[in-house]
Amino acid sequence: MRKPDKPFYFNTSEHLLRIGRQKATTLSELWQALQTCPDDSIFQHTFRTLQDHHFIRQGFSNDFAHWCLSACNEPVLAEQLASVDVREFTAIEGLRRRMVGIVDDFLQPHPRSGSKAGHEPFYFCASDIVVLPTPFSPDSVPGFVEGLKRVSVHSIHHHFIEARLRLHLMSNDFSQWLEEEVGLPQTADAIERIDIYTNTMEGVRQRIATIVEQALN
Amino acid sequence: MKSQSKDQRAAVPSSAIGTHTEAEAVATVASPEPARPEAARGNGRPLPASVLTPPPPAPSPHLDDYRNIIGQGHVDDLRFLARDLKGKSIKMVNSTAVGGGVAEMLNRLVPLLSELEVPTHWDVITGGNDFFEVTKGFHNALQGSSYELTKAAQEIFLMYNEQNRERLQFGEDMVVIHDPQPVGLIRSREKSRASWVWRCHIDLSNPDARVWEFLRPFVEQFDAAIFSSQSFARQLPIPQYLFYSCIDPLSEKNKELPDAVAQKICDDFGIDRTRPIVTQVSRFDRLKDPVGVVHAYKLAKKYVDCQLVLAGGGASDDPEGADVLQEVKEAAGNDPDIIILDLPPWCALEINAIQRASTIVVQKSLKEGFGLTVTEALWKGKPTIASAVGGIPNQIIHKLTGVLVHSVEGCAFQIRYLLTHPDFAKHMGASGREHVKENFLMTTNVKRWLLLFRILGQAKSRPGSSR
Repeated sequence: MRKPDKPFYFNTSEHLLRIGRQKATTLSELWQALQTCPDDSIFQHTFRTLQDHHFIRQGFSNDFAHWCLSACNEPVLAEQLASVDVREFTAIEGLRRRMVGIVDDFLQPHPRSGSKAGHEPFYFCASDIVVLPTPFSPDSVPGFVEGLKRVSVHSIHHHFIEARLRLHLMSNDFSQWLEEEVGLPQTADAIERIDIYTNTMEGVRQRIATIVEQALN
Repeated sequence: MKSQSKDQRAAVPSSAIGTHTEAEAVATVASPEPARPEAARGNGRPLPASVLTPPPPAPSPHLDDYRNIIGQGHVDDLRFLARDLKGKSIKMVNSTAVGGGVAEMLNRLVPLLSELEVPTHWDVITGGNDFFEVTKGFHNALQGSSYELTKAAQEIFLMYNEQNRERLQFGEDMVVIHDPQPVGLIRSREKSRASWVWRCHIDLSNPDARVWEFLRPFVEQFDAAIFSSQSFARQLPIPQYLFYSCIDPLSEKNKELPDAVAQKICDDFGIDRTRPIVTQVSRFDRLKDPVGVVHAYKLAKKYVDCQLVLAGGGASDDPEGADVLQEVKEAAGNDPDIIILDLPPWCALEINAIQRASTIVVQKSLKEGFGLTVTEALWKGKPTIASAVGGIPNQIIHKLTGVLVHSVEGCAFQIRYLLTHPDFAKHMGASGREHVKENFLMTTNVKRWLLLFRILGQAKSRPGSSR
């Protein structure tokens, strides 16, 4: 472990939900709209919705899966869409292709499901995002843990989940800093392996803090 | 703005001179005599004297008062978000200073924005009874009722909007027009430097076409429109944002209560807290389906012991409400475990206590706006069963933050299930509370306004911006 050259700047991102022009009333329409909607809609209904539902430990993955279950009563498709881990993607295009592919694979053997109207439409939305600083910019590992415990969960989401779209790396801001600035590659790796789909974001925060504190001790 | 003392902060809209505000006019039009709380009764049980007179208004909270609820991190985020807006100002314009959800919301929002050093002014438009009769017709027509849009109605609408336009100043940096009544003020846009926003609180998913086509040209001149649900939005050439309705966790209706207070109120109303309590809070209105709730309770009661509390109002000042109350009493029959409370509108503390004492909260509406009673129940951590209508599906993620139902039978089954699976019910209630904390609290609404202000300001300052 070494003293970092650069502090860790805790930022946070806040978003305002914008109602899009597209909506889907059937699975076929969802499949079509998934191919043409803006990237920020895909981002909204996958990455960003995790922030809005960060308190749910299990059973919520992304808005597409949720709609397929709750409005279309298609549990198989819903499970397949829900199994997509957004952290496997460093660009929206790959995530879009995966979603389109899953719906396509489902509809081919189930063409009648494609035209069945859901209980309610799926409205494509997007977000206008504002990134903000926080009062925390620690230049030591204990200071990092202190900041980690005090920022909002939105900051955790910003650095831990959304970061890979910014970095275009299969990593996150915390792991990057701990590995590159502090020389703790194993700690960085352990943090990267935290499962966001079986933890709340508060749980993720505690897991990260515990892992780093163990490294400190 | 009138000056406010430090301890008794409340948002006070600039005084309206000359004619009426909407609340005054509607009171004159629709309710010649004030509602008499003495007339309010449960099913045969007189209401306790403590609820017969309105309590004094509570002071508005400060931002730091929310710290223990949302956490210091979120309060810090709000302060950072406001920092770059310091010195800029907002004007809110609506049609009533008292009564109704919009005025209630502005009463809390305006002081909080001002505390963040974003001075926020609140003006209320004025008009005669003829204006508010027209706008009430518009309001209902936009929510799907039929309406005869006459030339005279259009002229009345435009005339009063022009009068208010001449009376009001628009020197702020953002002007927010709430609902259709003042939408004609957009004609002042050319002389103002502000970003103009239309905040529509009503359900526009199925509007009367003629009324909407009359109003649409006004709406299209705004920089942005805001709706309370995705399904309420229209196809418009301007950006449309989603602001969920919200509750104030520190208000009388939602603040934490000592158990002794809840116990006393339940005792006063004859509610037995040693047995399961199923509650619906709503006006006695057919669209809230209180008779359906009675039927669901009766189906469930074949399997599980419980009481049903139907708490609401509207029967003493609304002829239809009185009819509905009578229908509910007939459906209830002489079941002593059904407690029907027709409460005066100021009984926020009593509603709070009843919701907190409840084992399950139901909202079996047939049509709904956002459904703030659902928000209130979720905030209190109550397992909630509600119809999948209006804004309710935004709040209830089926089996995660509550349960969505589509029928009397479905409602009855879920009452049985939740009463016999308390661990699941408790877990779901806890998730529901977190959902509200993240998305439907007043502080989140403050954040949304600050974000919108920043985003529109940035858009306006871009080179080549035509708006």
